[in-house]
Amino acid sequence: MSGALVVRGTAQAVAEARPPRRWSPSRVAGTAVLGAWAFLFWFLWLSGRDALYLSTRTAWVVPVAAALLTAATLGRLASARVTTPETLRAREAWIMGLMVVPVVLVLAAPPATLGTFSAGKRSGFSGTGFAASASEIGEGELTLVDVAAAQTTPEGERALAGRAGESVSFVGFVVRRDDTPADEILLTRYVVSCCAADAAVAQVRVVNVTPGEFEPDEWVEVTGPIYPLGREVIVDAQQVVEVDRPDRPYLTP
Amino acid sequence: MSDIATRPARTATARTGLAIAAMLVAAALVLRVFDPGRVDWVRTFFVIFGSLLIQALPFVMLGALAAALVEVFVPIGTLEKLGRLPRPLQLPAAALSGLAFPICECGSVPVARRLMQRGLMPSAAVTFMLAAPVINPVVIASTVVAFRGRTSMWAVVGGRFALGMLVAIAVGWVIGSKTTDELLKPNPEETHEHLLELGRPEARWRRFFVHLGNDFLFMARYLLLGASIAAAIQTFLPASVLTSVADLPVLSVVAMMALAAALSLCSESDAFVAVSFAPFGVSGQLGFLVFGPMVDAKLLALYGGTFRRGFVRVVVVTAAAATLVGSLWIGVLFG
Repeated sequence: MSGALVVRGTAQAVAEARPPRRWSPSRVAGTAVLGAWAFLFWFLWLSGRDALYLSTRTAWVVPVAAALLTAATLGRLASARVTTPETLRAREAWIMGLMVVPVVLVLAAPPATLGTFSAGKRSGFSGTGFAASASEIGEGELTLVDVAAAQTTPEGERALAGRAGESVSFVGFVVRRDDTPADEILLTRYVVSCCAADAAVAQVRVVNVTPGEFEPDEWVEVTGPIYPLGREVIVDAQQVVEVDRPDRPYLTP
Repeated sequence: MSDIATRPARTATARTGLAIAAMLVAAALVLRVFDPGRVDWVRTFFVIFGSLLIQALPFVMLGALAAALVEVFVPIGTLEKLGRLPRPLQLPAAALSGLAFPICECGSVPVARRLMQRGLMPSAAVTFMLAAPVINPVVIASTVVAFRGRTSMWAVVGGRFALGMLVAIAVGWVIGSKTTDELLKPNPEETHEHLLELGRPEARWRRFFVHLGNDFLFMARYLLLGASIAAAIQTFLPASVLTSVADLPVLSVVAMMALAAALSLCSESDAFVAVSFAPFGVSGQLGFLVFGPMVDAKLLALYGGTFRRGFVRVVVVTAAAATLVGSLWIGVLFG
């Protein structure tokens, strides 16, 4: 009995000597920011919205970031109770608040992809920068990636020219320039190596389209024979139908 | 720093928290109700800004993870041993160590900062920071894949590796014997950490997570700033300005370096964009591939937040001059 009293007394003394831990506002605020970003990456991964920003080649960063940020959030939360809490300055709090704005932006804004506006800006300098061998272009089903890659080398151009008259089926969105004839559209698709910031334009000219039927940025599927003319590729439309935007709107080379 | 010392900072209160929450709710409502993405340029800006962040932030996290491991698990003084190498070998050794760090430029900044704080010579840390995103195996492999089948492949791949090393070493050499305090800005969060450590040392795992979070939060804010600048440039940049100088020998390389800085692409994917600039020749492509991972819009914001004034000027001027001269020489010899 007396021994128990001694033990209890010692524990009480130690507890009194050790100052209690309290929540640190600075660490809690940091935890909230980390948690918001972790939530965003989980959301992107689970909803498939990462496809609006990244190529299939780099999509792996999303679950990795979600896991790391979640671990960082939990670890910071577990270490947020300290004996001498740091104060959180108002300026720092606002900066942390601003760091959550991009999270709100991605979550609240309707899903969007690059469209007509960007195609005009990018076609000049972001030619499709990926190689496909002439044998890849010369055989098998032709894709917009093949068409775009063919325009970057003389061998590719020759291989594509050998496919003249073959029927193709391409999905892309409609682009119209000021000088585009009424019965034509530029069928466009972005080719993304890493993220949308490096998007390059893959484009074919589609002729014999019913004038006024399709608006810019509408997604369509075009079927018809292909006629490569040097660096310009023409598809003579036999069928043009409106389609939903693909789950993965960007192509990966 | 003197500003912090002389003027008492206002402490955040519950009212501050409510105001911030109200701001975030208002932002969400504006986005849902008015959908500014209906405007073409706004939508383009949002997509590019979002993609830059979503792609770069995981690498900042990986960099913060490596930096926290260095801070907590590498004993003080270990890195100072590197200083015992003969001086002519120190910077090349630092540059080559980038081979062991296969992440892009956003991740190398927090690591270099932490290496400096743990005693590595600042010139060596800066050399490592600049070389790693250019010469690491993932970047070299992606360059090989992008340029495969081109006659210029080995000139570009070998040139990128060699010139990346040389430019990083040149910047480290110019940094010379500057000390960590002369280069690094203090981080207010770390001032808090030291105050806490005066009381009672925290458990190692707690320190690890605190450093991990602090490094990430510190770097991420500058990445947000840099990504918004890069996205604005990408949204409005008229492409014709750059393509018009493709035939001019020196200007074409300068234009490609400026383009790399403006686009702020990840070094692991920039080769796929660079390969399309065949009219600019090997020199122009090398200028793009070497300068971009060392100096771009988002990196300038990261450097500005991490390093003291003057550092950014040294990096930009030295890296630009060395890249320009090196790219032209390689173009003449192997182009």
